[in-house]
Amino acid sequence: MNVANEKVINDLLRPIGYGKGFLIWMSFLTAALVACLYAYVIQLKVGLGVTGLRDYVSWGIYIANFVFFVATSLIGMLISAVLGLTQIKWASPLARIAEIISLAFAAVAGLVIISDMGRPDRFLYLFFYGRIQSPIIWDVTVVTTYVVISTLLLYLPMIPDIALCRDRLTHVPKWQRKLYEILSVNWQNSENQQRIIRQGVKTLLILIIPVALAIHTVTSWLFAVTHRPGWDSTIFGPYFVTGAFVSGTAAVIIAMYVFRKIYHLEQYITVDLFDKIGKLLVLVSLVYLYFNINEYLVPVYKLKHADAAHLHELFQGRFAVLYWSVQLGGLLLPIILLLFKPMRKPLPLLIVAIFVIIGAWFKRYLIVIPTMQHPFLPIQNVPIEYQIYKPTLIEIAITIAPIILVLMIITVLSKTFPVLPIQEVESHEDN
Amino acid sequence: MRIIERKRVILFSTLLLFAIAGRAEEWQVPADKEKRTSPYLFDEQMRKKGEDIFKRSCASCHGMPGQGNNIRSLVPIPPDLAEKKVQQQSDGAIFYKITVGRGAMPSFKNSLTEQERWQVVAFLRSFNKDYVQPPLARLVDSAKLRSVKVIPTFDTVQHKVVVLIKAFQKTDTLPLSEAEVSLFVQRYFGNLPIDSVRTTSQNGLVTFNFPTNLPGDSVGNVQLIVKVNHEMFGELEKTYTAKLGVPTIKPPLTEKNAMWNVGKKAPRWLIISYLLVVGTIWFFLIRIILSIRKIKQTGKNPKL
Repeated sequence: MNVANEKVINDLLRPIGYGKGFLIWMSFLTAALVACLYAYVIQLKVGLGVTGLRDYVSWGIYIANFVFFVATSLIGMLISAVLGLTQIKWASPLARIAEIISLAFAAVAGLVIISDMGRPDRFLYLFFYGRIQSPIIWDVTVVTTYVVISTLLLYLPMIPDIALCRDRLTHVPKWQRKLYEILSVNWQNSENQQRIIRQGVKTLLILIIPVALAIHTVTSWLFAVTHRPGWDSTIFGPYFVTGAFVSGTAAVIIAMYVFRKIYHLEQYITVDLFDKIGKLLVLVSLVYLYFNINEYLVPVYKLKHADAAHLHELFQGRFAVLYWSVQLGGLLLPIILLLFKPMRKPLPLLIVAIFVIIGAWFKRYLIVIPTMQHPFLPIQNVPIEYQIYKPTLIEIAITIAPIILVLMIITVLSKTFPVLPIQEVESHEDN
Repeated sequence: MRIIERKRVILFSTLLLFAIAGRAEEWQVPADKEKRTSPYLFDEQMRKKGEDIFKRSCASCHGMPGQGNNIRSLVPIPPDLAEKKVQQQSDGAIFYKITVGRGAMPSFKNSLTEQERWQVVAFLRSFNKDYVQPPLARLVDSAKLRSVKVIPTFDTVQHKVVVLIKAFQKTDTLPLSEAEVSLFVQRYFGNLPIDSVRTTSQNGLVTFNFPTNLPGDSVGNVQLIVKVNHEMFGELEKTYTAKLGVPTIKPPLTEKNAMWNVGKKAPRWLIISYLLVVGTIWFFLIRIILSIRKIKQTGKNPKL
């Protein structure tokens, strides 16, 4: 091991540990989470009536949030598998960040669904009495599988790094050393062990592609298997998958920026890396734009009766401001801006990514809610709050809770393990 | 676009047609029908029954009388039936309009009995404070009605239904002429009228042509309803079973494995695909999970 490698290891292991900043940040998150959980307790006691959900709009921001979570979790597949298997080297240092984001979002996505249930105690009935014909069963299956694959894909390549933690981090608390001890599974860096990991990771990288495609395609089928205007689409699967890459890439950019600043990894998460992932964001956004054009232009051209009412609401009606803000500010403008190199520098890219990810969230809102406000049979003789969906404060708090939970998971993981794969970075430095 | 254009033209002309029909001269009621009066006293019980029927069969277009919630987008506009224009008509006229219908207003001749139609009139009259019921028409003698005999014969080869009506007249039970007879087949929603309404001849007979392609049950049985109405003898209804239909065996949609069926009866291809895909993926996942143990063992004993 040469001096340069020694420096890499030290730099990448340095952020590990639970310092003052970590404690303050986690206490803040915990306090916020407790407040949001209190809102959930109210919902549990009183029922879904405390939300803005009624007969017509029965899927509100909870489901929009769920779709957003599943979408964002797909990034692990893109960066680790697609770019990894095609030997695109620049992306390999980002694999772990992408996997952490994937795991956090995928694991919490299941909880988001439960928050939409009036009787969460009946959740297990899904397994006892679920019908295999229902896309909901498929969704539960793939989400669970994806969480397991993401965990393995985060863990397996990290074993050598955990062994490094075990060997080098002697100043950490005892329980943490014990944790490294267990998780590093007697890693000796032997040829045999390396071979097992190589093979395992390779299998996982291949498996994760169909599973990740399935998870978001099935999520899109929850909508697309109905006849309703706005959902009745044959391209919903790829439309969702490409949209997922956009929000996931934006999430990785934000994480990259934060880790770079806070963990002082400027030397490893380089300006050049931002430039490259900025280009990746343009690419996936262009693909998504292409699917958007298909998804909206074709129905607009045909203007079938039911679609017409729906599209009118989006383009000129009640949702127009939101729709055009999302499409222009969250998709078209970022594409144009990121074509210019100065915009792909860390800070401008971060700002664009924040716009993209907010746009991505509201895009899910626009996919879920307007359709529910346009049933085929006219809405008659119901109070106004049944006709127009307006999320309540309690509902918003319960929607924020999973986001806090994701931040907590990412924080803890990134403070317990090195956020960049040490071996990958070493070989990068060597090159 | 041209199709939309054409649709618009059709829509417009249909509306125009309705509008013309709506504006057409007043709905003429034959003089003898207009003079008819109810044989039943419009008491509270009649009114209540009429209200139930009204809610079920009339309110969807006319709205509840006096509340102005009739559907104004229809052409012609179905009037609010508490209106003066309606209430100043005679009982017989209202009864006639309910019976025969016109344009978008359906005929209730087959779906409501005479008594039920009078109940609706009784209900409508409760919205008119100035209304005084005219002298009751003479109600048909129930002994007379009981004497009516309906004798159907079913020709399953020629697909004809011949109905003989007899009643006690003067001294003996004799074939009854001038009786209106109608034939229906029972189905899930409303009865299906067969052929047209016939009037018995001197020998008390009517003949209905029965369709040859009507689906029956597994052996071809259909449930028939014969309705008889005679000015002097009143109205009655009898049901019969006859092998006049085409034998139809339709297994219930939930019998076979299908997408819409319960979980246990899911399509086999779906169960197999699901298990195959999930099984394959998890086979590899479990192998990888087990390989972690192997890493551990190898670490303990580097020679392995």
